[in-house]
Amino acid sequence: MFEKLTNWSRKRSPWVFHINASSCNGCDIELVASLTPRYDIERFGAVLVPSPKHADVLIVTGVVNAQTKDRLRRVYEQVPEPKHVIAIGACAAAGGVFKGCYNAGQGIQDVIPVDMFIPGCPPRPEAIMYGVLKLLGEAK
Amino acid sequence: MSTPPNQQRREESAGLMEYSTESLVPFGPIHPALKEPEYFKLVLEGERIVNVIPRIGYVHRGLEKAAESRPWVQNMYMFERTCGICSFVHSLCYSQAVEELTMYQVPRRAKYIRTIIAEMERIHSHLLWVGLMGHWAGFDTLFMWVWNDREVVLDLVEAISGNRVHKSMNAFCGVRKDMPENMEDRIIERMKFLTDRARYYREVIDTEETMLKRTENIGRVSADTVEKLCAVGPMARYVGFKRDVRLNDPYAAYDEVPLDVITTTQGDVHALLRLRLDELVASANMVAYAVKNLPDGPIRVKIPPIIPAGEHSSHCEAPRGEIFYFVKSSGGRTPDRVKSRQPTMANLPTALELLKGQTLADIPIVLTAIDPCFGCMDRMSFYDTETNKRWTWSGEELRQYGINYYFPERAKKKSGIKKAIGPPTNQYPREEF
Amino acid sequence: MSETLAQLGKYAEEVGTKVTPLRKNESTIEVSQDRLKAFVAHLVNDLHVRHLMTITGLDLGQNLGIIYHFSMERDTIHVRTTVPKAKPEAVSIIDTVPGAILYEMELHDMFGIEFIGNPWKDQKLLLPEEWPADLPPPLLKTTKADQIRRRLGLEAAKP
Repeated sequence: MFEKLTNWSRKRSPWVFHINASSCNGCDIELVASLTPRYDIERFGAVLVPSPKHADVLIVTGVVNAQTKDRLRRVYEQVPEPKHVIAIGACAAAGGVFKGCYNAGQGIQDVIPVDMFIPGCPPRPEAIMYGVLKLLGEAK
Repeated sequence: MSTPPNQQRREESAGLMEYSTESLVPFGPIHPALKEPEYFKLVLEGERIVNVIPRIGYVHRGLEKAAESRPWVQNMYMFERTCGICSFVHSLCYSQAVEELTMYQVPRRAKYIRTIIAEMERIHSHLLWVGLMGHWAGFDTLFMWVWNDREVVLDLVEAISGNRVHKSMNAFCGVRKDMPENMEDRIIERMKFLTDRARYYREVIDTEETMLKRTENIGRVSADTVEKLCAVGPMARYVGFKRDVRLNDPYAAYDEVPLDVITTTQGDVHALLRLRLDELVASANMVAYAVKNLPDGPIRVKIPPIIPAGEHSSHCEAPRGEIFYFVKSSGGRTPDRVKSRQPTMANLPTALELLKGQTLADIPIVLTAIDPCFGCMDRMSFYDTETNKRWTWSGEELRQYGINYYFPERAKKKSGIKKAIGPPTNQYPREEF
Repeated sequence: MSETLAQLGKYAEEVGTKVTPLRKNESTIEVSQDRLKAFVAHLVNDLHVRHLMTITGLDLGQNLGIIYHFSMERDTIHVRTTVPKAKPEAVSIIDTVPGAILYEMELHDMFGIEFIGNPWKDQKLLLPEEWPADLPPPLLKTTKADQIRRRLGLEAAKP
């Protein structure tokens, strides 16, 4: 009974922690733009939290590099279960335009398991919202 | 009147060379055993910062090396993604450096279109920054309203180029897409709207107590230090230097479009706010002029994929400062060497000088004032030499500390500062495509 | 040609080198390592060319090239010098131009050039701390990107 309630509240009001793993900031500004009045992801209950320990969903942008690889893994371990990971952008999915660069990974699924990829360079705020809600089963 | 505490500290630890007398190693982690990658390590004495140790390189991906093995055109799209906020100017600077190695001239219409997009990018970047300053100062309403107005210019950019962030409008010796038909009236109307909004926000920052308390007399640095440390962009202009590449070495259509370079001698973060808002108004006027006087003609000259041998450099004025590109060709399909220098790198020594002598509560404001990239604010570690305490804070925790320090009555309220932020009163209708 | 460039040309002739104009307001001067400090001091203090844009490194086969890019209103002045690859030690200019400090550190990371006189010539600025000590500097032509990625652990996990 209690579990049903917590699952319902996680779906209806996901608490999101955003981490930037060596991104060019294009995906980050589209994510922050989705908080602004025109797109307003907060009406779905999504809240950006300051610490991974309070999060349900981890949003990662950027192509991971040697400096941020360990940090990403550590943040992932700090997020309590049940957790979901969303990778935003072409860089987080497969390295993007930086594939082959000497300090760029090939997508964050090599570092942490990913539940949803949102493609685009950068994806529009509508695409980001659609992806987040689809993951939680809210989007029709 | 005694000198303000900032000034005193500055006099005591004046000069970048003073770093070497501190017992802590300036750049790099304090302990090799400390694996936690903090992006800024701050050494405090009580409430005042004595030393700042940055660790940059977290976005170092190895672009310059990759550029040597990719064709010339592919590099343009890669360098565009060095930064999401000033992406067009990166590709513009690279194109200009390469175009000079060829014998071809850029058509006049293409130069005007480049100017229009570059100025629109400046508008979006400054609006983004003003919103962020509001957010860090605890004034979330300003953040929401400004970013809503920013959508107006992003709509225009999308109508012209197809993407909101990475416009990819540049091509060698021209632009890839022409200006759509019947855009002129729409652009001029929206530029007028943005000018009015910028003037309104100027009033807000001049009269609103939140902003005044947090930004006045904070972030002062001497003009001599700025010149010696080779700062660029608004960081040089807010202490009085008329340093602007568009004025000193005009590129694209800046020799024909009337330019208004804003400088001020006020020298604190509040001056930076006013400066960027005034630059926004100047950019809007430039866009309106360029659109009204857009010449006819071709938008592009096709050039062969092999660039003749030689070396050339180019610099442009991005929203944050001067971007510099150096290109070396040995006559092949791929470059021999490409060097790109971003403005934040040039402003970093000045930024570190700015931070010394500030209080803990002022750090977010000062760090945002230099207009760095986002991720820098993620995590900071502190070490207090007086109490011998070490602790780590995320950017959000530091921001809350700053708000509670300046506005203690807010700290008492349980719900914090999350009041209901209603929709903006002056909402611009959404662009219909 | 601006007055500063004319004066620079005269000074260059006195020290035994010359100013070569390139296209579009750019000029280049070749200076040897022992003359570099005096040259930069003259440029900055006497001719008031204060703005250093950046310092570029080049891999020229046997030698490593270092180019200092100075900017003076419309003109760009490239001051070039070389150091041998076998002994990559160069002279630091930070007592004349303190703003050069980060650029010299970057060159140390990317090419392995040591700037004598720079207090942080051994610090890493951009490269990760996990950089193995036996791996050569990345921007040399002989270093391969795949080699670096394998050592840094950034290769894709096998499916």
